[in-house]
Amino acid sequence: MDLTGPIHDFLLVFLGLGLIVGGLGVVLLTNPIFSAFSLGLVLVCISLFHIPSNSHFVAAAQLLIYVGAINVLIIFAVMFMNDSEYYNDFSLWTVGDGVTSLVCTSIFVSLITTIPDTSWYGVIWTTRSNQILEQDLINKGQQIGIHLSTDFFLPFELISIILLVSLIGAIAMARQ
Amino acid sequence: MLLEHELVLSAYLFSIGIYGLITSRNMVRALMCLELILNAVNMNFVTFSDLFDSRQLKGDIFSIFVIAIAAAEAAIGPAIVSSIYRNKKSIRINQSNLLNK
Repeated sequence: MDLTGPIHDFLLVFLGLGLIVGGLGVVLLTNPIFSAFSLGLVLVCISLFHIPSNSHFVAAAQLLIYVGAINVLIIFAVMFMNDSEYYNDFSLWTVGDGVTSLVCTSIFVSLITTIPDTSWYGVIWTTRSNQILEQDLINKGQQIGIHLSTDFFLPFELISIILLVSLIGAIAMARQ
Repeated sequence: MLLEHELVLSAYLFSIGIYGLITSRNMVRALMCLELILNAVNMNFVTFSDLFDSRQLKGDIFSIFVIAIAAAEAAIGPAIVSSIYRNKKSIRINQSNLLNK
């Protein structure tokens, strides 16, 4: 989707702020139900991020599966197992937390210093020149369906078997 | 959408997900941080699929597979946590020593 400049920038800043604040909220909020709703905010923002990069099918699947199924399941799990011992030591800042935050900050800094140094656009032009200029008469949803039914057929069936087995296992583990 | 912005955001999500996964004392919060990491991977897949492979869309298909695996994980994870909670009456990570006895 090609949007014009100010709308695009506004969308980028708005969604990026939602994503950053939500990601901090998932980790730092003390009540787990608030961090579950904050996870929902992050998932909605990521789903809206997929729309400007022309992946509407993945955006719809993200919104349906993550926000509609996984986040609701996590909220149910939080409400089902809510006991009063969350509030005991929420201000406890141990040495391990400091070391972990140092390590994760160093990972983040090294990643964001690596990203502008890589010449992505050279890679783009070498890969785009190899592709055949064909008419794209079919849209992307149809193209994903064709890929899933031809050359990704075996992984697709394996994914369905994994989903079936994990759902049966979850039911068998949850009822006793 | 610039490529670097989305890559920086997904790197942010990945690092904060790892931080939460290591430091959280609550099992459900650890599952939430795992979802954050999988979403960072998904953002990278979709971005590179749009820029490098816009004819074939294999990155989109891989992100759909990642979403399906995350759905299986989100089904089995709270089931294990609820089973532990029924036995131990606690979902703290450092108190789950059922295999220890």
